[in-house]
Amino acid sequence: MALLELPAWTALAPALLLALTAMALFIIDSIAPDSRNSGLLAGTTAAGSIVSLGVAVWYLLAGVGTPTVDGGRGVIDVLGNQFVVDQLALFFMVIVAVVTALVAVASYDYMEDHTYQAEYYSLVLLAATGMSFMAAANSLVTIFIALELASLPSYALVSILKDNRGSVEAGLKYFLIGALSSAIFVYGISLVYGATGHLQLENIAAVIEAGEVASDGGHEIADVGGLLGLGILMLIGGFAFKTASVPFHFWAPEAYEGAPAPISAFLSSASKAAGFVIAFRVFTEAFPVAETASAIGVDWALAFIILAIVTMTLGNFAAATQNNVKRMLAYSSIGHAGYALIGLAGISAGGGELVMGAAMMHLFVYGFMNTGAFLFVALAEYWGVGRTFEDYNGLGRRAPVACFALAIFMFSLAGIPPLGGFWSKYFLFTGALEAGLLVVAAALVINSALSLYYYSRLVKAVWIEEPAVERETLSQPVGLYAAIVVAAVMTLALLPLFGPVADTAVDAATAMLA
Amino acid sequence: MTVGVEHYVLLSMALFAIGLFGILTRRNALMFLMSVELMLNAANINLIAFAFYHGNLSGQVFALFTMALAAAEVAVGLGIILLLYRNFRDVDVTVPTTMRW
Repeated sequence: MALLELPAWTALAPALLLALTAMALFIIDSIAPDSRNSGLLAGTTAAGSIVSLGVAVWYLLAGVGTPTVDGGRGVIDVLGNQFVVDQLALFFMVIVAVVTALVAVASYDYMEDHTYQAEYYSLVLLAATGMSFMAAANSLVTIFIALELASLPSYALVSILKDNRGSVEAGLKYFLIGALSSAIFVYGISLVYGATGHLQLENIAAVIEAGEVASDGGHEIADVGGLLGLGILMLIGGFAFKTASVPFHFWAPEAYEGAPAPISAFLSSASKAAGFVIAFRVFTEAFPVAETASAIGVDWALAFIILAIVTMTLGNFAAATQNNVKRMLAYSSIGHAGYALIGLAGISAGGGELVMGAAMMHLFVYGFMNTGAFLFVALAEYWGVGRTFEDYNGLGRRAPVACFALAIFMFSLAGIPPLGGFWSKYFLFTGALEAGLLVVAAALVINSALSLYYYSRLVKAVWIEEPAVERETLSQPVGLYAAIVVAAVMTLALLPLFGPVADTAVDAATAMLA
Repeated sequence: MTVGVEHYVLLSMALFAIGLFGILTRRNALMFLMSVELMLNAANINLIAFAFYHGNLSGQVFALFTMALAAAEVAVGLGIILLLYRNFRDVDVTVPTTMRW
């Protein structure tokens, strides 16, 4: 085994490969700046992210990050513990790479006529690099830098349709709220640093557990409880922005509606998952529940219980009233952020690893079904059929394959058994019950039932309603079709594959909470 | 005579509050950007003062990173504001209302 021992930094290869592919795109663009060879550019992007995906899966299978007692190779530290590669990191690197690959393939058709092809694809890859690094970041410094690396290209991507008023408006709103929330986030970091004297997560935890800062002018943590509590609250604000949950959710409907649809898919799946991974890591590693609660006087899990319930209720109720399909999906994506927040709400209770693992599974399944749903919207925009439910009427007759895939995505999002979305919600439900969060579990069930209404409304429009206008035969763009079909196949294939995914997620969560 | 760390925190909180006030009241996108800059620099003051207080350098180094990121953020932001002006002939953030919820 020691024959081929890779250096520690290669553990970050999934993220580094994405960065390298972005650089390759820059080189291609500098050689042929005027070419609009979207096949080459989209192909490079997709190939890079698939290689990144392959490496991440290989690491997971080879036991990188699995604790050595379980026969793995142990958690790998990079750059003096600024990054750690454990199962949690690899799991989310897989999600990011999958979504990036799907988005790249779909963009081949969607962005066909766009002038700035190479810029588009390299921005996608740079944002993906940031998200992948977020999965491994282990100190508030690297978390913030990775978060900005993911955010800055996203602002540009949302407003990349430069002559489209909707796209520019969406980019502006996304940028303004993003800049505000990153200012709040970094101020929160500075307060946590002031209270504990450290930026690295496990050092923060050590200081909070010891109850005092041992430097020159040392102080008790309990004396700076207010400072620490305010800092934690501001950190939650930053996470809420990235995951599109209350109270920083209002950018999401605007940004998703105005952005090019593949970018909406990218932001609502990969970016949300990356926001959750840093939230999971910070709150499980840096702020041990009991000690932090005694220092600041409040249990931070309570904040997540409230946020989870409010986020899922708001998202689902707002989604139910929409007429615009993309906007409905945007609000439903807020609702799903609420479901995943249950993972953080339940950590403090016994059996926290089950809820957190369930939240990770949900984000994984969501990476396929939600990306697929937004890519269907991309397909509809490519056809130019319009944006409301009525405009989608009768599409099933003209494009049965894509509409069948849409039905799979919708039913999986709603959580109809036996699709993947059902199982992750089922685990969230049982986990929440086990953690004693009856109200949260009830909210989950009520919201899922409500969500069935607006998801099935779309399926009904596509398959049952009569078309408002007679349509010509619809074209079949290769890239978009391939991406949608792959997403649908994966949503179905998760049925037999759900066991290993669930095991990995729960293992990762157990390792984090141990 | 050295100044106590609490004075720096008060200064930074005042700066943060001024920035937040600016964001909530100004409609000009450029003023918005400046207000965000104030908030980021409030965090920098905190980081440097706390680094001095704790006697380690990580806060100061992080402040350098924050400044670089703030510059990058302004670069992207100005690009978007330029697009805003080209499309809407205005930099008022309340003008673009093609989407409503």
